[in-house]
Amino acid sequence: MEQRLANTLIMTVNEKKFIENALVSDIRVDGRRPFDYRNLTIRFGSEDGSSEVQLGKTQVLAFVTGQLVQPYRDRPNEGSFAIYTEFSPMADPSFEPGRPGDSAIELGRIVDRGLRESRAVDTESLCVIAGKVVWSIRIDLHIIDNGGNLVDAANIAALAALSTFRRPECTVGGEDGQELTIHPPDVREPLPLILHHFPVAVTFGFIGKENIVKAGGDGVLQSVIMQCLRIASVKAGDITSKIKNAVESYNTQRSLRKIKRHNPSSAVSNVAKHHTVREPNSQSVDTNALRASQPSCATPVDKLNEESTQVNPETKSTQQSSDMNSSASTHEVTDIGSPEKQSNTLKDAVKPKHKRRKKSTSNVNAN
Amino acid sequence: MEVDRADGRTLNQRRPVVCTRGVLHRAHGSASWAQGDTKVIAAVYGPKAGTKKNENPEKACIEVIWKPKTGQSGKPEREYEMVLKKTLQSICLLNVHPNTTTTIVIQVVNDDGAVSFQSNLLPCAINAACSALVDAGIPLKHLAVAICCCMAESGHVILDPSKLEEQNMKAFVYLVFPNSIISVLPDGSKRPGGEAMEHGIITSVTHGVMAVDDYFSCVKLGRAAAAELSDFVRNSLKLKAGNDPSKVG
Repeated sequence: MEQRLANTLIMTVNEKKFIENALVSDIRVDGRRPFDYRNLTIRFGSEDGSSEVQLGKTQVLAFVTGQLVQPYRDRPNEGSFAIYTEFSPMADPSFEPGRPGDSAIELGRIVDRGLRESRAVDTESLCVIAGKVVWSIRIDLHIIDNGGNLVDAANIAALAALSTFRRPECTVGGEDGQELTIHPPDVREPLPLILHHFPVAVTFGFIGKENIVKAGGDGVLQSVIMQCLRIASVKAGDITSKIKNAVESYNTQRSLRKIKRHNPSSAVSNVAKHHTVREPNSQSVDTNALRASQPSCATPVDKLNEESTQVNPETKSTQQSSDMNSSASTHEVTDIGSPEKQSNTLKDAVKPKHKRRKKSTSNVNAN
Repeated sequence: MEVDRADGRTLNQRRPVVCTRGVLHRAHGSASWAQGDTKVIAAVYGPKAGTKKNENPEKACIEVIWKPKTGQSGKPEREYEMVLKKTLQSICLLNVHPNTTTTIVIQVVNDDGAVSFQSNLLPCAINAACSALVDAGIPLKHLAVAICCCMAESGHVILDPSKLEEQNMKAFVYLVFPNSIISVLPDGSKRPGGEAMEHGIITSVTHGVMAVDDYFSCVKLGRAAAAELSDFVRNSLKLKAGNDPSKVG
């Protein structure tokens, strides 16, 4: 019992007074203004559907996997998704391993309700054979570092992972239309999930006269709530654009990886790493070489590549430079808004042809 | 005869290794270790007061928690925890902090592709845990490096298999070697062109059936690869803890 108490963070009266006094002059403990967000970094793993989000000191991992199951009886042509939250003991010494505690369940429910009740994930597209076989999507959230505001970070991680998840393509064939073939990813390109929109969580803390209280504990005025809603909608737009940029750059990298599949140079490198994360040198060289040697597509694609190289360093570099890059990318959004839409459609039109051709040649080379 | 592996490596070539320490802020020590596509994060908290009920209070206790990437923790996770605990117990100095618990949490970040019961996670996790222990400043006797060797159907001994290769293997073995420099050299143990490394195997976990000679050739191959890996680990520690000699070696 004492051990558990020793693990929790107990605040002294001096610390509480300091926080309250600083807020009077609109300064927070880490120097932010009251409505400033911490640096947000979104990284993706090498597999589809795995994301790592860093919001200041908070780190969250999200993994999305899919399975074919029987649908629920009352929803025979809809797939399902479920969210599993793990407060890993590595995030905080007070997190116990084993069954999730109250705050873990609450976090899971918030993310779940955001996706389910707003119908962000399109479950009808997950149906394969109505009444028999549907996709069940499982989202695992792992909190690995507790630096506060777990809800927002976990939500962003879940959205990022859902955006990059691909499920294998299935076709129904056979005489009675009941035979199911699941195509492996090298035969047919796996499909992304259909996300209608991004429900973004924005957390506000209300610091009252005596206690530090979450919204809902103390009574809050209507006008205050309206102000919060206005600020939240601005922040949500901000965060959505950041997620979309990160996903775009990931998708570009993914398609580049598909074109050049076999990478002999990376097998040889054996580089000693420092304290800070740095990808092996050969990998960055390859993407640059690829860009130079890539056949000239329509110009909007080049613009997308340029934008992606700007965002690439963000996903690869340490936190200091990600400051600069994330602010740059938020400025970029308004400018590239309309040409981006154009380039999406053109690129989508061009992509399948190129990929199929390149895939067959790279297969020959590997053999 | 050179057998070409799926990703273009030779028989004795390891995948590129990326090791980062100090990844997490709350944990006392943390490290992430990636070998090719397999990536594992280890975090260390400790020493905390008190030991568990059945543990010896005269020594420090090591507790390992293994978190898989998806799904519930089951029996394979318990096995990994046990192997890791035994390995780390033999490298930690347990008498320095008696009646304390050091907790090591392993999180699997990436599992190298296809779903399979066995996987190449254990050597990655041991290496990550060792680096995390150094990052936390837990007193250790010496470092440890882990490597995986396997026997192919064709009779070749292959180093550091990826997931796909592992599924087609007849047998494989995880080996953990100590990573320390002997100060007193017995005769004939000097490695050509380097400092003398201590011999011995800390842990050996085998799966499948292999002949005794094959096992010894796996050990020999693993020993050579581990020597390379030990150098890499020592260099990376020196680079970070340049001003802090107490953390190195």
